[in-house]
Amino acid sequence: MDFISNKEPQIKEMLTAIGVSNVDELFSSIPSQMRLPRPTDDDGISEFEGMQFMEALAANNTYPAFQNYLGAGAYEHHVPAIVQAICSKSEFLTSYTPYQAEASQGMLQIIFEFQSAICALTGLDISNASLYDGASACAEAALMAFRIKPDSRKIVVSRSMHPHYRQVLKQYLASHSYQIEEIPFRNDGSFDIDTLDCEGAAAVLIQSPNFFGVMEDSHAIFKIAKEKGVLCILCANPLSYGLFASAAEVGADIAVGDCQPLGLPLQYGGPYCGYIACKTNLVRQLPGRIVGETTDTQGRKGFVLTMQAREQHIRREKATSNICTNQALAALATLITILWYGKQGLCKLALTNYQRAAYLRSKLQPGPDCYFNEFKLSFNTSMDTVLHHFRKHGIEPGLCLKKYYPELSNLLLVSVTETKSKKQLDRYIDIAKEIRG
Amino acid sequence: MTIFQKSQKAQHAYSLPSDTTAFEQFQPPKKYIRQTPIPLPEVSEIDLTRHFSQLAHQNAGIDNMFYPLGSCTMKLNPRVNEWAANLPGFTRCHPLAPEETVQGCLQLIDELIQILCRLCGMTAGTLLPNAGSQGEFVGVRLISAYHQHRGDTNRNQMLIPDSAHGTNPATAAMCGYSIVTIRSNSDGDLDLTDLKAHLSPQVAGLMLTNPNTLGLFSPQILEIARLVHESGGLLYYDGANLNPLLNIARPGDMGFDVMHINLHKTFSTPHGGGGPGSGPVLCNDKLKQFLPTPRVELHEERYRIIHEDPSSIGAIAAFHGNFGIYLRAYLYAKLHGNYGLRKIAETAVVNANYLKSKLERLFTAPFSRHCMHEFILQADRYLDKGIKAMDIAKRLLDYGVYAPTVYFPLIVKEAMLIEPTESESKDTLDRFAAIFEHIVREIETDPEIVKTAPHTKSVSRLDEVQAVKHPILTHTAHTN
Repeated sequence: MDFISNKEPQIKEMLTAIGVSNVDELFSSIPSQMRLPRPTDDDGISEFEGMQFMEALAANNTYPAFQNYLGAGAYEHHVPAIVQAICSKSEFLTSYTPYQAEASQGMLQIIFEFQSAICALTGLDISNASLYDGASACAEAALMAFRIKPDSRKIVVSRSMHPHYRQVLKQYLASHSYQIEEIPFRNDGSFDIDTLDCEGAAAVLIQSPNFFGVMEDSHAIFKIAKEKGVLCILCANPLSYGLFASAAEVGADIAVGDCQPLGLPLQYGGPYCGYIACKTNLVRQLPGRIVGETTDTQGRKGFVLTMQAREQHIRREKATSNICTNQALAALATLITILWYGKQGLCKLALTNYQRAAYLRSKLQPGPDCYFNEFKLSFNTSMDTVLHHFRKHGIEPGLCLKKYYPELSNLLLVSVTETKSKKQLDRYIDIAKEIRG
Repeated sequence: MTIFQKSQKAQHAYSLPSDTTAFEQFQPPKKYIRQTPIPLPEVSEIDLTRHFSQLAHQNAGIDNMFYPLGSCTMKLNPRVNEWAANLPGFTRCHPLAPEETVQGCLQLIDELIQILCRLCGMTAGTLLPNAGSQGEFVGVRLISAYHQHRGDTNRNQMLIPDSAHGTNPATAAMCGYSIVTIRSNSDGDLDLTDLKAHLSPQVAGLMLTNPNTLGLFSPQILEIARLVHESGGLLYYDGANLNPLLNIARPGDMGFDVMHINLHKTFSTPHGGGGPGSGPVLCNDKLKQFLPTPRVELHEERYRIIHEDPSSIGAIAAFHGNFGIYLRAYLYAKLHGNYGLRKIAETAVVNANYLKSKLERLFTAPFSRHCMHEFILQADRYLDKGIKAMDIAKRLLDYGVYAPTVYFPLIVKEAMLIEPTESESKDTLDRFAAIFEHIVREIETDPEIVKTAPHTKSVSRLDEVQAVKHPILTHTAHTN
């Protein structure tokens, strides 16, 4: 099948109007040795067959049948039903970038509200229309810092930041002679502040809660950075701002992260939605699209894409980034979710996430420190045995850390969200105790 | 009013599981707790619903109106793709799930790459880049890796046509290259003399789109490829204009070494108001070892993930890219088959040439030969009436159609770049032409109404200068 409207009767008329006798004449500028022969058999399928095919393919994924305790940058949360209902509206789903502002006030206002919501959560002054994901957001923040501090060639990054994010950061910085200095973590997984030397760095980039779920002492870390005149970048799960100190409160200049926990299903890795927010004085170096409020010829309030002189379509090679599309529809899903929970709900959601993880941890690996949503669980048995045992019971218990941190080969990274009931958590505890003997 | 102005104390929409008793004793240490309340509005579900309904009334998509945006390929976004992308068998898969449990996802990834490679004459690819720009970034990084691998460290220039999309030079700059601009000739094609003058051992490559941003296929492409390769450079294909080439001609056969595809253009994934997109990158054997990780491969009838490869440039995305987006492209390709994809290309070109034939006499058509999927018209003849391309674009909005792309490419004065796509029926194209004729008559009889358009939207022309001079970028900066 196809979605082409014009059929033979119309095509005939149109070819006559154009002044050619057949379609091939319209492709005459393509050298004949390059042109492919027209397929003779229709190898397309009907909509029904397409749906059957996709259902069968989806059925080859057995993961959805497991209880999911994987986190590590992608979290299973309830997505409010209203999200789908609004995001699937034609006027949002099938619209384009709001370049003609007068016909796109809906989407522009949505982006404005998204920017405002991110500022509400982070406590910072300005945000943008979204970036691709948390990883590229970190990379863009680093490049931003280097533009702000052109004499610096170094950025300090915590090793307890998501390994994939650090790899993407390396990718974005690879073409320039910048140096990434990694700060190790202590036994408890927290940033080793005693080894922090940010002399001459453009920025310090940390993640809190970090990859292990540990809440860092961001305030103390940034205090040291500020004494050296170094920019402070905080990468955070935006849900954590419902409970924990905002980026502004701990002294961040730039906040980044991924909005996935708010309104975006797991979807095998994407589309997610990166965010970036900063203090007012840094706005000219912000990458990506920004929506601003203005007035029309009659003094009525309206919204436009603004400060476009930073962007690729105006500045080309001098742009702050090459980014063109953002994650608009994903940002809308996040905005709706933030508003659905609202001021009170977001706090309660963050708290119950904290508490459920704390409950599981207290029964299996009690200890001090502050964790959000996930924590490390140690086993004396081989990881293969641990995984096998849990999986027999239909549970994917967590992520083996060996692959990312060879020194942590006996640790599992376990994520607990509001989707896990006491009954389910108790079951997990029983199985873990069985394994431990 | 923004949603922040619709707050009513204690109202809310959310609900949370009530089994909280066992967990209540766990409270985070005070030193970490947020001190400032979160300034979010308190809104009920019905008010939230209505708020977004009202915003939908102030927006429009392809489902609502004709969107002839040149360079954007605004074709129908099939709802069956939405249905497929929302299957729980896909949405509930965690990106770090064990390979054995996500064989369906891995099969999709592997098969889509193969489909795209066959279509484009390439041998390997990746679906990781999250959008066209990120695809360009990966492609240029592959070129860098190639030269580095050969020990050729002098190639620090990237050649880019003056007609190129802004992302091309922006990407090259992000990858550390200095940009050398190559002129277009009067046919709208790359000026070969200028190209030859700039090719040197310092050039890493040439970034090109073909058909170019003027909607014209370059008959010189084989010569261009030969020249670039002879000088030791590589040829990058910007896939934004792939729609008219599907199963007609392949970038690989034209001599391109690496390319990206915009799935949200050619493969109908929804534009979503500005994203998410997806920008797969394909390449030939010269570059495949450098492709980013993770990669998927079929091994003894099971799919597995290759996480690391010493030759690879490394990661580009947090996980597997925009899986939910390229899933839609996969179904789209399967529904059409090679036969249907060819029909897309043919009809896109017929539609564009038909529309061009109806509009040519109203505007300056800088290139008289047949166009591909899009064409340029210039509105410069109306300048003496005080009317610019922007004014015509705004007046089109009053007639229930979206405006074409204006002022791109930069090298054409008062440019309107029009791309109907294969989706549109002849009637829609006829009505669009009639609207243009009407507006041209208005320019004669009542130019003011065009100059001050639009008149029927919720706002009239917005002051963009004010927006830059006095930025209001969040609701807290309101003066209302």
